[in-house]
Amino acid sequence: MSLAAEAFVSQMAAAEPWPENATLYQPLKEDQILLSDCASSLAVQTYLRMCGLPVQVACRANAEYMSPSGKVPFVHVGNQVVSELGPIVQFTKAKGHSLSDGLDDVQRAEMKAYMELVNNMLLTAELYIQWCDDATASEISRPRYSSPYSWPLNHILAYQKQWEVRRKMNAIGWGGKTLEQVCRIRSAFATSSAQFFFQPTELDALVFGHLFTILTTRLTSTELAERIKSYSNLLSFCRRIEQSYFEDKILSVSLSLFIPSLIPSL
Amino acid sequence: MGTVHARSLDPLPMHGPELGVHADDIDTPEIEQDSKQEVLENKDVVVQRVHIDGLGRTKEDLLTYEIADVFQAKNLIDVMKKSHEARQKLLRLGIFRKVEVVIDTSQGVDALPNGLDVTFEVTELRRMTGSYNTMVGNNEGSMVLGLKLPNLLGRAEKLTFQFSYGTKETSYGLSFFKPQPGHFERNVSVNLYKVTGQFPWSSLRETDRGISTELTFPLWKTNQTLKWEGVWRELGCLARTASFAVREESGHSLKSSLSHAMVIDTRNSSILPRKGGLLKIHQELAGYTGGDASFLKEDFELQLNRTLFWDSVLSASLWGGLLLPIGDKPTCIADRFYLGGPTSIRGFSMYSMGPQSEGDYLGGEAYWAGGLHVYTPLPFRPGRGGFGDLFRTHFFLNAGNLCNLNYGEGPQAHLKKLAECIRWSYGVGIVLRLGNIARLELNYCIPMGVQSGDRICDGVQFGAGIRFL
Repeated sequence: MSLAAEAFVSQMAAAEPWPENATLYQPLKEDQILLSDCASSLAVQTYLRMCGLPVQVACRANAEYMSPSGKVPFVHVGNQVVSELGPIVQFTKAKGHSLSDGLDDVQRAEMKAYMELVNNMLLTAELYIQWCDDATASEISRPRYSSPYSWPLNHILAYQKQWEVRRKMNAIGWGGKTLEQVCRIRSAFATSSAQFFFQPTELDALVFGHLFTILTTRLTSTELAERIKSYSNLLSFCRRIEQSYFEDKILSVSLSLFIPSLIPSL
Repeated sequence: MGTVHARSLDPLPMHGPELGVHADDIDTPEIEQDSKQEVLENKDVVVQRVHIDGLGRTKEDLLTYEIADVFQAKNLIDVMKKSHEARQKLLRLGIFRKVEVVIDTSQGVDALPNGLDVTFEVTELRRMTGSYNTMVGNNEGSMVLGLKLPNLLGRAEKLTFQFSYGTKETSYGLSFFKPQPGHFERNVSVNLYKVTGQFPWSSLRETDRGISTELTFPLWKTNQTLKWEGVWRELGCLARTASFAVREESGHSLKSSLSHAMVIDTRNSSILPRKGGLLKIHQELAGYTGGDASFLKEDFELQLNRTLFWDSVLSASLWGGLLLPIGDKPTCIADRFYLGGPTSIRGFSMYSMGPQSEGDYLGGEAYWAGGLHVYTPLPFRPGRGGFGDLFRTHFFLNAGNLCNLNYGEGPQAHLKKLAECIRWSYGVGIVLRLGNIARLELNYCIPMGVQSGDRICDGVQFGAGIRFL
């Protein structure tokens, strides 16, 4: 989003209170949504719950194309459409809802740096596993991604997406990495950031979204989830957030693609 | 765009036959059966041989059909007439640059005293012709490169490729056309294309990639077209500020449709006709052969022309259409009808009428529009017999309506809905004919029956297009 557009959005947003009918759009949760999108969507939902802002979740097969930035999730609030966690945090801040007000400048800068790191490492790793690991791509990602479309469009769109992600991976130098390396990177990262969770901020929402999704999603290899499970502080972090913000069990409904048997093990 | 009322992205103009001669406006003078010509007429002749000189890659069997009639001629006038017809037929194939006819008495040992030889001297088109031009419009400039391979396999087949590189969009089209030898009107064409269109009235951008096959043939007095089309459509918002209703339509869809069109055209010219009528019926069934979109679409166009006193012409036209969704999926914004603008109901802005959301027009599932025109030559007829004949003044009265129907209700309720809130307009203007394919209009319009949400163009309105109400 350009600076001018961002300024415009925040100015517009400040004028109106948060409406009751705010809606979050994500791909179809049963058949379509992928790990990375699900994690991002859960992060935004967690953040909005932490702020105490009500939001309805709507599933649309074309959510990705409806989003102004081409990324899910996005929220439709009043007549505003804002996509991805960063801009949504800005947007709620303009409306007077913020989680990071209690932090000093240094902490806030650190938090922003960590958030960037999560997006750069965790999200990239998720994308890598989804689209660059051949087994996952052919057994899970491509069929799920293209499930709403009819032949031959389903194949065209899935391969187009895969090609796009792979090109991006090559550009940032992840193209040659193996699954093993990627898992190591993310678990190493996860431990380093885990010490930051002493009060709920947007960073916690983001990390929770990603970790919880990884822990509860069935993939071709469970290596990733196993690695995260070996850190007890991460597990207790996930459990704490889940209990504080998702007590009403909406989560287990909204994330029905996850294996329920994993949740008690947390 | 700007010429079709129902949104459809036609591939770049490359529809099949390219007739060498536009004989529409030439009143063919009757061959006078004068008594002075008796001598020639009564003299029986026999066409002994027909030569075609200058053939290169063209197969001869294709031409035998076209020139066969010349052998039927029984007298000199007949020979000339038949040769002329054969020449027109040869030119129509679009494979010759030039065709000349030479009629001579037969020479040689077996020559009859009244024997004639007819020689067609033809010059074939080059194997490949290219063209380039630039276009400006819709806040966009583009460069169009065209490549044509006429007479590809020697039987009047044609392969055309067009590539348009614009500041915003890139489009291309590849088309293969094959007529049946001896019946040029019966032909098959296959098209492959990608077209991108921007529709600011709906804040919508549409990219179509598709393939279509078309079969055209004459039947009695009509011209029939059967077509299958498979299109991958990608819709997106033109701007961030697009309404949410348009945003919801974004994404990919696949349309596979069978369509049939029937045309009866007895007009003497397709632009500014003086007499005759036109009836066009088009129906499209999508979803039966696969794809995500399923609907049945019917629309028709009727035009009648009659010459009145002092070279003025009265023209009446009526359009109508209906889009019926099949199944419980609602219709797509790209399939619905649009109405309004200088080519349909004048006095309203382009396609700015009917159902809308936050200023973006969403189109309707049913429409009708009617127009009544009186065309007259320019006052005092400046430039008569030349440049001035390209212009006409016209007085018009347009009316129409566009809405969505609730198909649970009966036909009575539908008619009632189409009859209420009628938009209409009247005015006067000048029409300029551009070749035989397009026309420009400069009108002073007074819109009436404006409904809330319609965008009007009160006063002077300029229009350009190939299809007019």
